[in-house]
Amino acid sequence: MNMIHNLPWLFLLLPLVVAAIDWVCLNKHPRLAATLSLLSAAATLGLCIAYLTGLQTGTPGVYTWMPCSLEQLCLHLGLVMDPLAMRMMLVVTGIGLLVHFFSIGYMKGDPSNLSRYYAGLSIFMFSMSTIVLADNLAMTFIGWEMVGFSSYLLIGHWFNKASAADAAKKAFITNRVGDFGFLLGILLTLGFFGTMNFADMAGKAAGIAPAVLTVTIVCLFCGAVGKSAQFPLHVWLPDAMEGPTPVSALIHAATMVAAGVYMLVRLQVSMGTEAFTETACNIIAWTGAITAIIAAIMAVQQDDIKRILAYSTLSQLGYMVMAVGLLAGEAAMFHLYTHAWFKALLFLGAGAIIICCHHEQDIWKMGGLTKRMPLTVLCFMMGTCALIAIPGFSGFFSKEAILDAALSKNPVFFWIGAGVAALTTFYMLRLCIVAFMGPARDHGAEHAKEAGFTMALPLVILAVMAVISGYGFIANDLVPFNGFHAHGFALGLPFYVSMGALALGILLALAIYGLGGRTKDPLAGNCISKALRNRLYIDALYDKVIIGGLQQGFAHVMEFLDCYIIRGIICQTLVWFTVRIGYLCSWLQCGSLRAYTLVSAMGLIILILLLAYQF
Amino acid sequence: MIPLAHYLILSGILFSIGLAGVLIRKNIIVVFMCLEMMLTAANVALVAFSRAQGTAGVPVYDAQVLSLFITGIAAAEVAIGLALIVAMFRARRTVESTALNSLKD
Amino acid sequence: MLIWLILVPVIAAACIGLLKTPGRLTAIISAAVSLILGALAVLAPDCCTECLTSFCGTPLQLTLGLPLSRIMVLLAILVTFAAVCGMKAPNADAERSWAISALLISTGAIGAFMSDSIIAFYGFHELALIPTFVMIGYYGRGDRRNIAWTATIYLGLASMVLLAGLLILCTEMHAWTFNGLAAAVQAGIMPESPCLIAALLLVGFGTLVSLFPFHTWAAPAYASAPTPVAMLHAGVLKKFGLYGLFTLAAMFGPKCQELFGCWNNWLLVLLLGNVLWVGYVTISQTRLDDMLGNSSVMHMGYIFLAFAAYIACNGNNELAFQGAALLMLAHGLTIAMLFLLTGQIEAQTRTLELDCMGGLGTKLPALGFLFGLAGMASVGLPLLANFAGEFSIFVSCFAGWTPAAATCDCWLGSVANFFGGMGPVQLATIGALWGLVISAIYMLRAFRNIFEGPVGTASERATKLTVLDIVAACFLAVFIVLFGIVPPTCL
Repeated sequence: MNMIHNLPWLFLLLPLVVAAIDWVCLNKHPRLAATLSLLSAAATLGLCIAYLTGLQTGTPGVYTWMPCSLEQLCLHLGLVMDPLAMRMMLVVTGIGLLVHFFSIGYMKGDPSNLSRYYAGLSIFMFSMSTIVLADNLAMTFIGWEMVGFSSYLLIGHWFNKASAADAAKKAFITNRVGDFGFLLGILLTLGFFGTMNFADMAGKAAGIAPAVLTVTIVCLFCGAVGKSAQFPLHVWLPDAMEGPTPVSALIHAATMVAAGVYMLVRLQVSMGTEAFTETACNIIAWTGAITAIIAAIMAVQQDDIKRILAYSTLSQLGYMVMAVGLLAGEAAMFHLYTHAWFKALLFLGAGAIIICCHHEQDIWKMGGLTKRMPLTVLCFMMGTCALIAIPGFSGFFSKEAILDAALSKNPVFFWIGAGVAALTTFYMLRLCIVAFMGPARDHGAEHAKEAGFTMALPLVILAVMAVISGYGFIANDLVPFNGFHAHGFALGLPFYVSMGALALGILLALAIYGLGGRTKDPLAGNCISKALRNRLYIDALYDKVIIGGLQQGFAHVMEFLDCYIIRGIICQTLVWFTVRIGYLCSWLQCGSLRAYTLVSAMGLIILILLLAYQF
Repeated sequence: MIPLAHYLILSGILFSIGLAGVLIRKNIIVVFMCLEMMLTAANVALVAFSRAQGTAGVPVYDAQVLSLFITGIAAAEVAIGLALIVAMFRARRTVESTALNSLKD
Repeated sequence: MLIWLILVPVIAAACIGLLKTPGRLTAIISAAVSLILGALAVLAPDCCTECLTSFCGTPLQLTLGLPLSRIMVLLAILVTFAAVCGMKAPNADAERSWAISALLISTGAIGAFMSDSIIAFYGFHELALIPTFVMIGYYGRGDRRNIAWTATIYLGLASMVLLAGLLILCTEMHAWTFNGLAAAVQAGIMPESPCLIAALLLVGFGTLVSLFPFHTWAAPAYASAPTPVAMLHAGVLKKFGLYGLFTLAAMFGPKCQELFGCWNNWLLVLLLGNVLWVGYVTISQTRLDDMLGNSSVMHMGYIFLAFAAYIACNGNNELAFQGAALLMLAHGLTIAMLFLLTGQIEAQTRTLELDCMGGLGTKLPALGFLFGLAGMASVGLPLLANFAGEFSIFVSCFAGWTPAAATCDCWLGSVANFFGGMGPVQLATIGALWGLVISAIYMLRAFRNIFEGPVGTASERATKLTVLDIVAACFLAVFIVLFGIVPPTCL
C-alpha cells in the first residue's frame, strides 16, 4: 500500500498524538501545548483542503482492529472519503482551527491547566474526525464515545467549580443513556443487515420487515437524541455552557451536537431512504419538531447570553432532525453546514463579549456595547441575521430548504417550523437589543474594550462565512452532501410565511424591548416566565423524580435486598440451620465413657447381626 | 474329646461378662480388667480353632502364635493402661469413669 | 522455563520468611524476574509445555497451550508487579507478610493458569486462597475477622462444590487433564450427567467469580483487604472461575452446549442480576472501597454474558471468547489500578467516604489523572482496554442470531415482534447494555465527589505525591492504554 494513500489517517492520528503529548508531557508548558494543538488543527485543515480540491486522492487502507474468522464480525477501521465526509471534515477542521486560534486569546491568563484544555480540544478533533470519516458503525461508536469524553473533559475544565463538574457529569451520563439505544441499534443493524459497514448496507433494507426496521432505526436515533440533545435528553446542553466559551462554540454548537444529524444522514445515504420507515420517520420528525419548539420557547426567557445561544442551538438542531425525519437529508446537511458557521460565530462573539465585560454573562448587566466594541457587535449581528434567516444571509437559504421540504411532506411541520422561526427572531433580537443598545448597566460593560487580534480574526472570518456560505456557488462545493445542488428559491408560500414570521418576530421584539433602555425584562415576573426560566421544570423533574426518586430509590431497594434478603435472610437462615444441626449432633457427644462404649458395643452387635443374616 | 462348640460357648460367655463389666462398672481398673477378659475370650477361641482346624493331631500353629501375640500386646497395654490410670488418679484423685467428662463440659 | 514462573515467587517468599530479607524489595525483584520470564514465555511463538512429574499415571504438565493461558499469565505477572511495587505496609513485619502473601497468591494464580492437569489447576487456586483469607483477617479494614470468615466459608464451600463437579466430570470422561478432556470429546465420549456437572461447575466457579446471588462475600472482602491482596484477588485470582469455565467450554468445543446448555437461560438471568441488581447496589454505595468492590462484581456479568453467548452458539463464537479474554485482562488491570489508587487516596485523605472528599484533583492532579484514566477505562471508554472486550462481547451476542420475521408496521406491534424475534441471549444483552449507563453513573459520581468541586475538608490533608507513590499505577496505566489501542488479540 502506497504511503501517500494512507495520508487521511493523519486526520485521526495527528490530533490523537498531539493530545497525548499535550496532556502527559507538556503539563508545565501550556504555550507549547497550544502551539502544537493549533498546528495539528491547521495541518488537518490543510489536508482536508488538499483532498477537497483534488490535490490528493486515493483511498486509505483498512486496518483490522479486532480480527475474527467471520468476516462481517471483524472490527475494521477504515475511512470513507466521499463528499459527505470530506466536506463535513472541512466544517470540523475549519471551525476547529478558528476555535483553537480564538482560545489562545480567550484563555490567556487563565489559572487552570491549559495543557489539559488543548489536549481536550485535540481529543475532540480526533474523535469528531473519527465519527465523520468512519466507514462502519463500530468505528462511529468509538468516535461517538470519545467525543462524549472530550465534551466531559472540556465542560468540566474548571472542575473545581461545582456547577461545572456537575454539568460535565450530567452531559456524559445523559449521552450514555442515548448511547444505550445507539449501541443496541448498532447490534440490531448487525443482526438485520448482517454488517456494520456503511458500504455494504445498500439495498439490504428491502428484504427486512418494516417493523424491525422501525425499531432498529429508532434505536440508532436514540444515539442522535443523546448527542444532538433532542427532547427528552436535551437537558445536558444548556448546562454544558459551564465550559469555556470556545468549547461551547466548537463542540456544543457547531460540530459535536450536529454529529447526530450527520450520523442519521450517513445512515440514510448508505441504507437508502427506504430503510427509514414511516413510523420511524414520524418519530424522528416529531422529536425534532418538539425540541425545536420547546427550546425556542425556553430561550425567550433566558438571561445568560450563552444559555440563550444554547437553547437556540437546541432549537436549530431540532430543525435539522426534523428535516432528517422528513427524509430531506440534503436540507438537513445544508442547515447543519450554515448553522455551524453562524452559530460558531455567535458563540465566539459571545465569548469575546464575555471576556471584554470581565466575565459577565447576564445580558441585563451589559448594554451599550455597540459603541465600545463595534467590530464584535457587528460580527455578532451578522450571525444573528443569518440565524433569524434574513434573506441574503446563509441561514435563510438553508432554513428555506427545510421549510420547502416540510411543506411538501407534511404541512404540520411547516407551520411548526414557521412558528419556531418567529420565536427565533424574537429571542435573538431581545438578546441584541438588551445587550448591545441603551446605556451600560454594569461596571463590566462600562469598561468593555474591543477584543484583541486573536479573537477578532476568527470572528471576521466566520462573519464572512455566515453571509456567503449559503449561496449556490459556494454551497454546491462545500455543503456536506453527495451531489449537493442549491435550489434556486422561488417566491412561494414558504417564502411569504417565513418573511411573515420574521416580521412578526421583529415587531414583537421592538414592541416589547424598544430600542434599549429597559433595565429589566417586562415579560418577567409572571408564572409563565417563571416556568420558562426553570426550563419548564423538565430538569427538576429529572433531578427529583428520575434521579432522586427512581434511580436512587431503586438503588436503595437493591441495596436493602442485597443486604437484608441475600446476605441477611438467606445467608443467616443457612447459618442458623447449620448451627442447629451442630447442636443436635453435639447431644451425641455426652462425654460419658460408658455411653460411648455402649453405643459402640451396640454398633458392633448390629454389625454382627447384619453380617450373620446377610450371608 | 471336648467338642469345639463348648470352647466357643466358654469364649462367648467370657466375652459377654467382659463386655457387661466394661459397660456396667464405674471403676476404671475393673473396666480394664474386663477388657483383659474380653481379650482372653478371643485367645480361648483362637486356641480352640487351632486345635479344631488341625490335621492328625497337629494344630494350626498360626492361631496359637496369634494368641501369643495378643498376650504379649495385652501385657504391654496393661503396663501403659495402668500407668495412665495411676497418672489420672494422681491428677484427679478418682478412678470413676463417670468423672471423666471434662471434654464435654 | 515455566516452572521458574512458579518457583521464583516461592523462593522469594521463602527468602522473605526465613532469611528475613526486606519484604518489598525482594518481592519487587521476584516480580520483575517473573515479568521478564513471563513476557518471554507469553510472547514466544510456540506454546511451550513442560512435564513436571507424574501423578497416578497422569503427567502433571505446565503449559501455555490452553486457549486462555497466555493472556491470564500476562495479566497475573503485570498485576503482581504493580501490586508489590505499590505496596505500602504499616511496618516492616507487616511488609514481609504482605509481600509473602502477594507472592503466594500470584504463584497460585499463575500455577492455576498454566496447569493442564485439572487437579493441579484446582490445587493451585486453593493455595492462593489461603493467604487471601489470612491477610484479610490480620490486616483488613473494618470488621475484618467477620469478613474473612465469610469469605472463607463462601469460597471454601464453592471450592467443595467445584471439586465435586470436576471429579464427576473427570471420572465420567476418564480424563484428568484439559487436553485429555478435549481428546475424549474428540473420541466421542460425553459425560453421562451433564446437567448435574454443569450445575456444580456453575455454582462452584460462579461463587468464586461472585456470580449473583453468591456475590455478597466479594464486595466486603475487597473493601476490607489490604491493597495488594485486593488488587491480586479482584484483578487476577477471581478470574480463575471464568478461566475454568471458558477453558472447559473450549475443550468441549462444538459440544459445549451439551455440557453447559441446560443451565444457559438460568445463567442469563443470574448475570443480569450481576449487571443490574449489583449495578444499582453499587450506585447506592457511599464509600469508595465498597463501590469498587461492587463494581468489580458487576463487571463479571459481562464476561458471563460472553460465556452464555459462547455456549448458545455451541462454541462457534470466536468473538465471545476473544471478547471475554480481553475483558478479563482489561478488567484485571483496571480494577487493580483502582484499588491501588484507593489505597493512595486513603493514605492522603485518611477517609474513603465519598461525601467527605472533593477537590482532590486540585491538590493532586496526577492522582486525579490516573484515577480518571482507570475509571474511564472501567466505564468502557474507547482507546482504553475495557472497550475492546465489552464491545466484542456485545457484538458476539448478536453474532449467531438470525432475526425472526415480523409483520406489521404499527408501533406496538413492532415492539412486540421485536422482542418476540429475539433469543434469550439477545434479550439479556439488552439488559446488560444498561450496565453501560449504570457504570457511568457511579464511576463519574465517585470521580466528581473525590476529585472535582471545591477542596473539601479531607482533601485539605493531602500532601504531595512522590513519583514512587504513583509509579505502580503508571505502570498499569501504560498497559491499559496500550491494550486499548492495540488489543492483544494474538494471544
